Amino acid sequence: MTATANSSSPLLSIDGLVVRYGQITALSEVSLHVDEGEVVSIVGPNGAGKSSLLGAIAGLVQPAGGRIAFAGEPVAPRALERTVRRGIALVPEGRHVFGGLTVHENLMLGATVRNDRRVVDDEIARFFDIFPILGERRNEAAGRLSGGEQQMLVIARALLSKPRLLMLDEPSLGLAPKVTDRVYELLAEIRAQGLTILVVEQNAPRALKAANRTYVLNGGRVRLAGPSATLAADPDFEAAYFGLRTEAAS
Amino acid sequence: MAVIRDMLRRIGPLLLLIAIVFAIAWLASFAGVVLQRRVIFGLVNLVAVVGLYIFMGNSGLLNFSAVGFMAIGAYTSALLTMLPTMKHTFLPDLPLWLGDAHLPPLAGAFAGGGVAATVALVVGWPLMRLTGIAVGIATLSLLIIIYIVIGNWTSLTGGQQSLMGLPAYVGLWTSALFAAGAILLAFVYQETRFALALRAAREDEVAARASGVHVLRERLTAFVLAAFVSGVGGALFGHFIGTLRVESFYLDPTFLFISMLVVGGMRSLSGAVVGTLVISVLTELLRLAEAGVTLPFAATKVAAPAGLGDVLLAALMLLIILFRPQGITAGREISFPLFAREGSRKLTPQT
Amino acid sequence: MQMIIQVLADAFSLGGLYALTALGIGLIFSVMRLANFAHAEFVTVGAYVLFALSGEPLVMGVAAAILATMALAVLTERLAFRPLRNADPATMLISSFSVSMFLQRLLVFLVGSRIKTLDPLPMLNNAVTIGGVQVSSLKLVTIIVCAVLLAGLTLFLKKTRFGLQMRAAAENFTMSRLVGVRANTVIAAAFALSGALAAVVALLFAAQTGFVQPRFGVQLVIIAFVATVIGGLGNLFGAAVGGFLVGIVSILLQAFLPPELRPFREAGLFLVVILVLLVRPQGLFPARGLKERV
Repeated sequence: MTATANSSSPLLSIDGLVVRYGQITALSEVSLHVDEGEVVSIVGPNGAGKSSLLGAIAGLVQPAGGRIAFAGEPVAPRALERTVRRGIALVPEGRHVFGGLTVHENLMLGATVRNDRRVVDDEIARFFDIFPILGERRNEAAGRLSGGEQQMLVIARALLSKPRLLMLDEPSLGLAPKVTDRVYELLAEIRAQGLTILVVEQNAPRALKAANRTYVLNGGRVRLAGPSATLAADPDFEAAYFGLRTEAAS
Repeated sequence: MAVIRDMLRRIGPLLLLIAIVFAIAWLASFAGVVLQRRVIFGLVNLVAVVGLYIFMGNSGLLNFSAVGFMAIGAYTSALLTMLPTMKHTFLPDLPLWLGDAHLPPLAGAFAGGGVAATVALVVGWPLMRLTGIAVGIATLSLLIIIYIVIGNWTSLTGGQQSLMGLPAYVGLWTSALFAAGAILLAFVYQETRFALALRAAREDEVAARASGVHVLRERLTAFVLAAFVSGVGGALFGHFIGTLRVESFYLDPTFLFISMLVVGGMRSLSGAVVGTLVISVLTELLRLAEAGVTLPFAATKVAAPAGLGDVLLAALMLLIILFRPQGITAGREISFPLFAREGSRKLTPQT
Repeated sequence: MQMIIQVLADAFSLGGLYALTALGIGLIFSVMRLANFAHAEFVTVGAYVLFALSGEPLVMGVAAAILATMALAVLTERLAFRPLRNADPATMLISSFSVSMFLQRLLVFLVGSRIKTLDPLPMLNNAVTIGGVQVSSLKLVTIIVCAVLLAGLTLFLKKTRFGLQMRAAAENFTMSRLVGVRANTVIAAAFALSGALAAVVALLFAAQTGFVQPRFGVQLVIIAFVATVIGGLGNLFGAAVGGFLVGIVSILLQAFLPPELRPFREAGLFLVVILVLLVRPQGLFPARGLKERV
């Protein structure tokens, strides 16, 4: 049963997702959706289950229950190589450049699933235009770049696979505020070009500013959800983030 | 009454295992000489496998060098218990005190264990810092070093030549006693809090360290104790066969003992016993098959081709490691159903 | 002078063999973190195929050997190693050891344990004169073949798209899958390449020794493992350098050690392994991405 994605059904929809590691339940009955062209952020403290959520979407972890559908089709667990082929690009926590390979090689790997070599080369050239620093160091080992440069590199690497959904796990982690600014500027530009973005952050204010809608995740559950602007003004927001009991918590 | 019942439940596995050992010896005493020798060999192997278990089961680390310590124990015992006249003939270059030494067999066996344990203490102190693949490769290197050194230290060991004339004292009840002793030692050790700490480190090294477990010390203790038992096992092996060849302490017995332990279940003492039993029986059956069976109705002999037994045993080991790596016992100890309350007593921490 | 050249020829040809064997082991270790003891049997099988086709033209024998070992390698991966991809190191080591013993015993069962003689490269059983010095043709060819293969492998890994994917998988297996690298393909390719290398080593080594028996590859592989550890587990360049180093040092020690000490030089080698593991476990040339895991 295939349903073609149209503007009324979400690009990504998650229903009652449950993720367990042995005895520990990381996610219990999480439901959320992302519409095409949106930027959605998921905020929450450490251990809230945010990485597990992205992991389940990408196929890194096997859900214990619930359904995940992308572009109308269910997502099969554990099929890592298919994630990017379906149009989902994940930038995991900690960046994970291929440290021993050059900057250029890292970018080329982003295009692993593509066959249009000329177009890829053009796109890489354009990235080097936008990020001259990366261009200068194109033949250097990626492990030598600074944190911010690596973050730009992995985002560019992810974009080269021409994804429909870009997922980022804590892009601001370990970066200086100015550098984080640049990262989020990049994300804004990407969003302006129509790409759908799902970003997970501990840094709530930053995420709220960047996203259309936000979910607050804590203790494996969605505590609060809604348009970012509304949430930012919500007095229960802090309580939900830090796991205190609120009226709104279900 | 509850106290006695509790105590019985605790040492149930030990009593059962020792009973099995003596039962096997007793049954074998009715059999012919050939079968008896096979059983003795199996019991000596049991000592070796228990030695392997003491370290591998409790620490969770791979140890390829156990057979090397068997060799050390065997040669030590040989040199101390052989007739001085034989030593002067075959090993003329021995130092005088060694050439003239003539200890009773039991002392020789324990001396063998002692020397093996001492060597283990010295080499283990640096080695026990390693984990994962590194400890596997390091212990394999250790095995090879021992093999090369013993095989080439001609003045001390006879080198590549067989060392003959070891006093033969390993009979049915002797081997059973030693096997029971090894089991007792392993059981007492694993009930101590040192072994418990080691098993905690096996499950989660970081958490164990954080709880104050001195991981290096616990591993070294297990390593040295295991070497002692292996050394004694090696001495028994040597005195059972009567002749020592360095070739018998290399890769083939290493594979055999690891197979016995893994098939039985690496994480429990019962696993060591069960594994040895199962593989020994299978080996015997396959050996019979290779020797040939005369069919009653057709006067022809049907025999399996030579070498098939070895292949099948190796295949069994592969299948177990692929599909049931926890072995037959899966880390549980056997026990009397009567005394078990919620099932067999777990001698490993609840995970 | 003659002796020096000959010692050098010995050293580099032995070093080349160790380097190629170490590469075969290193290829698999780098993508899978698996120490493949069964590589010894890949080499042995290659030699037996050469023996079986002794009467046929060399090209046929070599082609058959390469195909046979590649097939064996890929099959071994599929049946014995794929189920264990996520197992702990101890289980994988035991399994690797078991596969090796199983194949060894299967060989004994199928072809018997007696030594079989063979001479696959009779045309090289002579010496050439270089600069007034006689050098064994076989040793010279061995050096050249090793150098060519090393260069070829390096080119493949550095310049081709698939080679890039293999290097990425060696750096960070999970991340490489997330960008779309197919794990099964990369691993199968690593095993296939490893098998091909094993066949070449078998050819050259059999030509040098003149015989094959079920344990043919064991000695080579054990020492090649040493080389891999010393050079740096997971690093192909290190594996090759390690192989050369071990071969060269081995020959030099043999030439210059007093006879009583010569058998112990191998023990010394394994002592070095233990020291390296203790003091500098990442080897001489640590693989950059060895610690990275998503």
